[in-house]
Parts: sequence; C-alpha cells; structure tokens
Amino acid sequence: MSETPLLELDNISKFYGSITALTGVSTQVAAGEVTCVLGDNGAGKSTFIKILAGVHQQSEGTIRFNGEEVTFDSPRDALDTGIATVYQDLAMVPMMSVWRNFFLGSEPTTGIGPLKWIDTKKAKRIAKEEMAKMGIDIRDTEQSVGTLSGGERQSVAIARAGYFGAKILILDEPTSALGVRQSGVVLKRIVEARDQGLAVIFITHNPRHAYPVGNRFLILNRGRSLGSFHKSEITVDELTQKMSGGAELEALEHELQSSGATS
Amino acid sequence: MSEQDTPTDTPSVVATTSTVDASNSLAPAADERLLYRSIFQRLFIRPEVGAIIGIVGIWSFFWAVSETFGTVGQTFGWLDTASTVGIMAVAVSMLMIGGEFDLSSGAMTGAMGMLIIYLVKETGELGGRGFPLVIAIPLSLLVALGIGYLNGFVVERTGQPSFIITLGTFFALIGLKLGLAKRFVGQIQIGRTDEAADFDFFRLIFAAEWERNTHELEVRDALYIGFIVAGFAILTLAISELWFQRREEMQPVGLVMFLVGVGLGVGGLLGLHATDGTAANAALVAVMAIGGFLGLFGWATWRYEPSVDRGALSLDSLMRRRLGVGLTAIVLSSIVAIAIDSSSTNQIFFPFTTQGVRVILVLVLAGTGIGLIAMASQAALSVNAATKFVVTSVFALAIGIVALTVFVDSSDTKFRGSLFGVVLAAAVMVLVWAVTTFRFEERRTGSARADHLGVRLLALGSMLLFVGLAFRMLFITAEELAAGVPPAKTSVRLLWFILFTIVMMWVLARTRFGSWTFAVGGNKEAARQVGVPAARTKTQLFMLVSVAAWFVGLLVAFRINSIQANNGDGQEFIFIIAAVVGGTLLTGGYGTAFGGAIGACILSIPAIGISSARWNTDWRFLIVGVILLLAVVSNKFLRNKAEGIRR
Repeated sequence: MSETPLLELDNISKFYGSITALTGVSTQVAAGEVTCVLGDNGAGKSTFIKILAGVHQQSEGTIRFNGEEVTFDSPRDALDTGIATVYQDLAMVPMMSVWRNFFLGSEPTTGIGPLKWIDTKKAKRIAKEEMAKMGIDIRDTEQSVGTLSGGERQSVAIARAGYFGAKILILDEPTSALGVRQSGVVLKRIVEARDQGLAVIFITHNPRHAYPVGNRFLILNRGRSLGSFHKSEITVDELTQKMSGGAELEALEHELQSSGATS
Repeated sequence: MSEQDTPTDTPSVVATTSTVDASNSLAPAADERLLYRSIFQRLFIRPEVGAIIGIVGIWSFFWAVSETFGTVGQTFGWLDTASTVGIMAVAVSMLMIGGEFDLSSGAMTGAMGMLIIYLVKETGELGGRGFPLVIAIPLSLLVALGIGYLNGFVVERTGQPSFIITLGTFFALIGLKLGLAKRFVGQIQIGRTDEAADFDFFRLIFAAEWERNTHELEVRDALYIGFIVAGFAILTLAISELWFQRREEMQPVGLVMFLVGVGLGVGGLLGLHATDGTAANAALVAVMAIGGFLGLFGWATWRYEPSVDRGALSLDSLMRRRLGVGLTAIVLSSIVAIAIDSSSTNQIFFPFTTQGVRVILVLVLAGTGIGLIAMASQAALSVNAATKFVVTSVFALAIGIVALTVFVDSSDTKFRGSLFGVVLAAAVMVLVWAVTTFRFEERRTGSARADHLGVRLLALGSMLLFVGLAFRMLFITAEELAAGVPPAKTSVRLLWFILFTIVMMWVLARTRFGSWTFAVGGNKEAARQVGVPAARTKTQLFMLVSVAAWFVGLLVAFRINSIQANNGDGQEFIFIIAAVVGGTLLTGGYGTAFGGAIGACILSIPAIGISSARWNTDWRFLIVGVILLLAVVSNKFLRNKAEGIRR
C-alpha cells in the first residue's frame, strides 16, 4: 500500500478496571477498501467498534485519521469526523417512516426566520433517491421501517451513513441476523459502498461472509490481535482456523466426523 | 492493492442475489411486493380513526336517549369542558408519544391557577405585593417551566420511570396547594383574580364570552345551508378524485354537464331560500337533487376513465345467503318496530320494558341486516362491476327501508325529521356511489397529482362544513328568539383549544422536535445513536405539559375567579385516558395530537349527556370506564389491522 491509510490504529488497548478487553491492536483502513474484523464471541469486537465510534475511549494507543492523531469524546464527535457506525440493532425507530428514519437527527429544514420546519418534500425525495442508488426501490417513503426486511433496513442504514458524508463506515455484525439471501444483499451493499470510495470496517464472526468482500483481515481472540492480514496472505480456511483458536476446532471436527461415521 | 479483489472474486452468495436486484432495477416503476393502497386505506390506519368512530357513536347515543342533547347550548357545554381537558390531553398525548407520563399534570393545573391568584392578591401574609397580571402571568409561566424542567431533569438523570417520579411531584404539589392555601388565607379556597389592576384586559384574552342570544344574524340559515351543501359537494368531488382513475384527456362535455349541475344546485338552493310553500319547496329540492346528480356525473365524465369490463352479475352462494338473510332481518326489524307499540315509556336503558325489548330487537335486527349486506357488498367489490353495482344497490335499498321505518314509526319529531333525513341521505349517497362506480374505472395505482388535489379538496370541504356549523352555533335568528330558544354561550377557551391542537398537530408532523418526539418514544437508544438530543427532547416535552397546565390554570382562574386547592387533582388520569382513547400508545412512539383532542371531546360528552338524559350523574364513571376499555380493545384491533395492511 503506497498511499497513507485513511485511518490508522496503533497499539490500541482498553481496560475496564482490572479487566482487559483489548490489548495492543493495530490495523489500518484505506479508502475504497473493506477491512474485516473477525473474532468469536468475547474477542473484543464490540470494544473495538465502540472505541472507533466514540462511545468509549481507548486506554492506550493512538488513532490517526488522515495521518493526524484524533480522539473521539462522543458519538457525535466520531460522526463529525466522518466515521458512521451501523449498529447491530440498526439505530432505527421501527414505528417511524423510512424518510424520517433516514434523516433522523439531521432533518433538512426550511422556514421563515426563527420558525423552522422540516422540508418534507426534499427529505422524501432524497431518501428515495439514495435508496434507489442502493438498488432498492422504495415506492412509499412513508412506509414504516418496521415493515422492511432485515436486509432493507441494513440498506437504509448504510445509505444514510453514506449520504451524511461518512468516509468510514463501520458495520457491526450486519449479517448475523439475516438469512442467506439477505446476507448476500448486504454483502453486495458493502461492495457498493467500497466502490463508491468509502472505507468499510466490517465486523463479523463469519469468515465466509468476510473473506469474499474483505481486503484486509484483523483477527481478534480474547482481546488480542492475532494479526492483520492482507487478502493475498491468507486463505478462508486459515482465517477460520485462526479465528477459532485453530487446534481446538480441528479436534472438534475430528470428533464430530467420527461420531457421524459410527451412527 | 485493488486489482485482485474487485467484484470478480466476490462470492457466490452475492452472485445469486444480484439477480434479485436486477429484477428490481428493471422495473423501478412498479414493485410487485408493494400493493397499491388507496388514500382511504392509508387514512383508515391512522391512530385516531377509532376515536372518530367513537365520538360519532357516543354523540348519537346521547342524542337518541336524551331530550336536549344536541342543542347548541348543550354542545357548547361539552365543548367547554373539552377545551380545558383537551389542551392538556393534547400536551399529554405528545409526552406519551415521547414515551413518558406526567401524573402531576392534573394537580399542576390547579396549582398554576392558585399561583396566579397568590401573585395578584394584595391581602394576607404575602405582604400585599399585589402584582399586576402583566407581571404575574410571565412569572407563573417561569414557575411552570421550572416544574416541567425539574420533572424532565429528574427522570433523565435517575433513569427511573417517569410514572414514579411525577407521582412524587403530584403529591408534592397537592401538599403545597393545601398547605399554602391554609397558611396564607386560612381556607382551602382562594379567590378574586379580579383584584388585579389589569384584570379586564386579560379577561378578554382568557375568558371572553360569546352570548349566542345577543348575536342575531338574519341570513344565518342561508349561510349555514349554503356552507353545508357546498362542503358536502366538495367532499364528494374529493372522494371521487381519490377514488377514480383519471383520464388521459379531459372530456369537455363533462365539464359543461358539471357546470349545469352546479347551476341547478345553486339555483335550487337560492329558490328554496326565497320561496315558501310545500309544493314549491319540494319541486326545488327535486331540482337540487337533479343538479347534484348531474354535477357529479358531469365531473366524473369530464375527468375519469369510463369503466370497460363491467362483467355480468354473478353471486356466489355465500353472497346470496348474506343478502337474503340480511334483507329478511331488515324487514323483520321494520315489522317489530311497527307491531310493538312504541308509546309506552321513554326508558331505553331498561331491557325489561316493552319499549326496551322493542328497541333492542329493532337495533339488533337492523344492525345484523345492514352488517350482512355490507359484508356481501364488500365481497362483491372483488367480483366485477356489474355484481358490485347490484349488491351496492341492494345495500342502498336496505338503508332506505330503515329510513322509511324510522319515518313511519317514530312519534318523536327528532327521529322523524333528523334521523330520517340522515339515513335517507345515506341511502341516496350509497345509490349514487353504486352508479358512479359502475360507470367509471376505479383507481388501481397511485397518482400523486390526484392525491394532491383530492386531499386539498377534502380539507376545503371539511373546512366549509366547519364554517357552516360555526355560523349555526354562534348566531341566532329572530324566529328562534321569538320561539324562546334557551340562552347559550361559549368562551374563548374553545378557540384556544382548537388553535393549540392545530399548532401541535403541525409541530408533530412537520418539525424536527415532532420527529424527535416520535423517535425518543419509539426507540430512545437508536435516536440517541443518530444524534437526536434525547434527554433534551424529553425534558422539553415535560415542559410542554407544564406550560399547558399553566395555561389551563389561567383559563380556570379567569373563569371562576376563585380556585379550590384540590382543583384539577385526579384529572391527570382523564388526560391520559383521553390520549389513549385518541389512539396514542401507552408505551410511546405512536399517536397523534388530534386523537388526544377527540379523546377529550369523547370524555366530556357523557357528563353533559347524562344530565340531559336525566340520569343519575354518577353513571358517568361507568361510562368513562367502558369507553376506555372499548377504546383499548378497538385501537389494538385497528392497529393490528393497520399492520396487516402494511405487511
């Protein structure tokens, strides 16, 4: 990689009191690339995101954005820098319409003097256009988000992040609750976001989802980094093995196979 | 590093799903997963629909069972109660949409009224400060804002349920009211707002009254009928605009027919105003009817696609059975109504008198009949135009029979006149509808332009109806004065109520604050994550409720000039009930301001209705309880139905 990475993490650690959640994690994220963060439950993925999203602050280490050292004191701070996070629960209000959710917190307003109101026409049009860019035709932006499918909701969240000028998109387990087909749709959105020049950080525990779309893989295990690999340096099987602590899983596989053979 | 991982080596999962997306992008104009929902279906799933049905029901009930309910005086009576309850119910609805409760809202109205009076009083241990109202009013507003802020602040800081926090505020306020009243004036009633120097000026703003019997307007009835007829006509056009498929090219012949029809209608109306005598009036009414029909037909010919495939009449066995049983039930109800003597007693409430049995039998039979036929015509909608036409005509006929029964059998002029008129008009409307839907193509796809015009016309028509009713209610004619119509008066608080409701509807629908209110009630964490200032929004909602309470306190202080220390205590539940009856969800995130206002009207009707029916007023609690239960059940039902439509 020749260019300076958009985001660089150097030796990040996080301690909650006496508990070590994350130690010495380093990686880099470049525009137009997908960085996958893989790890089993309890590997420190959530802590990692929360530090990037500004929910928590790291105990040690530095974050560099465009080569400059930054600290995020609040989610708004991270958002303003251009880091948008699509959480697992999607940060959406199910009973509200698509366009209201799309613009929630950043509604475009118009008005006379101090009297301001939402420019609903503009908001609806933009929401529709942005969703169309993601390949989803929302006929009625008044439709409530609760009626959308999981994949469509992910798409709304991703479209929203892109529209509000995110340079880095963090996706927290976007495929974990989805079916095979919808996971595919979301992976396709990730590829599209990448092609639009966004840096995507894709958190998952499924290497089969990560490998096809990722350029770089950061593997976490019990709060430690098992290394940050470029795609050319690793295969999907090695990825799976590293993630799950290697030998243990192999043993389990043997056990399962032999029991399957006898029955 | 970009070449080797471009989409060429994206996985098989992605490859398979891209075909799905391709089909989407091929046909962006029509998404097969999204059925067309007409604007009526969309209106039907609004939260306040249950409340609107409810208010029509409860109003009709009291209109039927009491002698005087429905007169202008009585209407002003319940509107007056509804005004103060309604201002609070609207504010409380918004707080509940934001996911919080305020149990101190009732006690706060009384507290604010008392505070105003304390501030303007010159006597007592307050030291004879005697502020003028121009200082006392803003000062008390600051206190109200403070209490609201405190409620919001404590709820947000502790993260405890607002139910329990505001319960604390509630008792604190009650204690303060009683304690301070006893300490300063030695009794629990404090009075004389009018000791303030500028009382008269502020009285105009908060308690100006309108005496109907002193406002004579000779052309009132002409204006009233004109506005009502115009309103209904425009509503009909609005519904057609929303219902039918627009033509590619307009048909000018239709426009001519429409204008001739309008001309006949207006001419008939003017003639009716100018002439007396039954024969001439009947002729002019006939002219108006023809004009109305021609107008609608012309309008439709001008704008809408004629229907092509009308099909042939085909009734399946279920439909046939429903029509047969339905018509039999209606005929039976007429026989029962005529056969059983109706002159025995007026006590409708007792199912054991002859009268009671008769009323119940008639209502049940007629209701079953109409219901069955309505179900049949609902089923006929999906068969073909011819079937639909025939079944809907039968529906109109059934309503017509009910109307005639009412006319033939009722001794009461109220039923003979008004009810007969309304039911007959309904029958005619259904018939006209049957004809137009037979002749013209219904809309199957969305049309933004037609929706735009239709909604504007709907609003215009409703406004004309409202203005017509306002003329009827606010003015009196010499004839009525001579007949000795009892005095009726209303107060400016009704205007404040309407204004507040409209402003809050706008705030909820069109401002960021409104959007955030729904968001913090629907999913507070999500709202916070996308940058909505959740704590601030909730605190502002608490402050909105306390400002509403301050305003209602002012209205009360100016109206009765003195306040009991327990004024408003216990009302908080009425506000919450009004909000729930209006369709607001107890758990937040769903509801409307308008629903709260209607809910307040529904809860205010029984008190007046019961006394005008000369029942014991204690029954009102029973009625409030039943209303609440019915509202909760039916709103849940409607909401499920709404979600069923959406899914």
